[in-house]
Amino acid sequence: MRRYNPFYFIGQAFEGLWRNGVMSFASIAVLTSLLVVIGGFTLLVTNIDVNLDEFGLINQIVVFCDPNATDEQITEIGEAIGKLDNIESVEHVTKEEGLEQMKAEYDIYDDVSEENNPLPDSFVITYLENEKVPNLDYQLNQIEGIAKVNNRLDLATKIEGFKRGVMLVFVWFLVILGVVSIFIIINTIKLSVFSRRNEISIMQYVGATGWFISLPYLIEGAIIGIVSSVAAYFIEWYIYSYIEEMVITDLQMISILQFSDIRAYVFWGFLGLGIITGVVGSIISLARYLRQ
Amino acid sequence: MIDFVNVKKAYPNGTMALKGIDLHIDEGEFVFVCGPSGAGKSTLMKLLLREERISSGKLTVGDYDLSTLSNVRVPYYRRELGVVFQDFRLFPKKTVFENVAFAMEVVGTPKSLIKRRVPAILNTVNLNGKQDSFPNEISGGEQQRVALARALANNPKVVIADEPTGNIDPKMSLEIMSLLVKINKLGKTVIVVTHEKDLVDYYKQRVVMLDNGLIVEDRVGGMFNAQV
Repeated sequence: MRRYNPFYFIGQAFEGLWRNGVMSFASIAVLTSLLVVIGGFTLLVTNIDVNLDEFGLINQIVVFCDPNATDEQITEIGEAIGKLDNIESVEHVTKEEGLEQMKAEYDIYDDVSEENNPLPDSFVITYLENEKVPNLDYQLNQIEGIAKVNNRLDLATKIEGFKRGVMLVFVWFLVILGVVSIFIIINTIKLSVFSRRNEISIMQYVGATGWFISLPYLIEGAIIGIVSSVAAYFIEWYIYSYIEEMVITDLQMISILQFSDIRAYVFWGFLGLGIITGVVGSIISLARYLRQ
Repeated sequence: MIDFVNVKKAYPNGTMALKGIDLHIDEGEFVFVCGPSGAGKSTLMKLLLREERISSGKLTVGDYDLSTLSNVRVPYYRRELGVVFQDFRLFPKKTVFENVAFAMEVVGTPKSLIKRRVPAILNTVNLNGKQDSFPNEISGGEQQRVALARALANNPKVVIADEPTGNIDPKMSLEIMSLLVKINKLGKTVIVVTHEKDLVDYYKQRVVMLDNGLIVEDRVGGMFNAQV
């Protein structure tokens, strides 16, 4: 029965990393940068989404009824809204519920009682398509008993546009840094293979399989990925915590996810991406041996 | 055991290295492959080691048909061969024992078997007491014997030696050849590529003479000088 010692492969992998120290360091540095940038952009986009959600800007219009409207009129308004096109859902928020929500969010409503509640009944409408919002807005204004249509499409569009811009830059960064990372890892592994070419040629003559020859280099790529992802995790943590602190102190109107809530996603995401990039780089440089 | 049937080999640059080789080597035979530079000896070796594929014809070694052997099967085929090179190709940072053991490790031989087998092989090539030495601490002839021991490590059926005496003095050359003959007597098929006519003449084994990509002489006990 064939038995291979796993420590042989791991030892060879570390030897390779040590032998080509400069290139190994360069690979780790570039891959770490890639992961930090990817993590940064992902967290930025996620936080934009959270804020869009929180402001109710995603596909939502709020209509306020006439403060003097009767319960019957309000029911009719709800039915009329439900019959319009481009509507996904309609939620009726009574003036009492509205007051509760305001009290939860703003201190100045603490002293307001239900008797002197200035808020009217409202409907939160979730629509389907942004393009048809101007038409929907017009139709809502035609319904009798609606005092105000709060359509925040402009702001939502601007934020969505910003998000798209961020995504575009993100994708380009991802492509460029991804290519650079893989290129540097390929060269690191190739140097490692080159420095052991005699050993590899003897292995081939005595009947070592492609996998036996390649496994140390695949582990080498994976180690580069693991070290990079751990480094990137701590850098991201530090940068994010700094921004989190700044937002909490100076920009209270913006919500930000706490790092403690997302650390597991960041860590495992980095680790997965780091290992995949490292191993893919190794596979590309070893294609010749793996084909055997 | 080894069969070349009208084997031709053309390289991508158009060079026709072998122009139709017909050669049969029986199990347990000892064969010298000789010829001038450019005769096709190296190409013949490369085909046997499956470093190169044949262009046409048929080449079989034991149960392996090298004409159709896939890359995935090549390592398993090579485990049937032991190879010795002119430049020894030893690991300078490994001891004699480790150099021989390495060949067994890469094919996944259990450690206990390696510990038992390596001293026995070193004994076969008269390297008792040298197992802890490093290659730079032993002579060229001894280094070649380590290479020979490594070639025998996985108990191959065929031993191929490419100019095994090219880098060592005449006395040591004789010793290496004697070892190859000894190995042959243990039942291995031995193929030695060489241009050292004195050795070929001395051992009077089968000689296959190549010239310009063709076999020009193949005789048992043949003299090197007969054709060159």
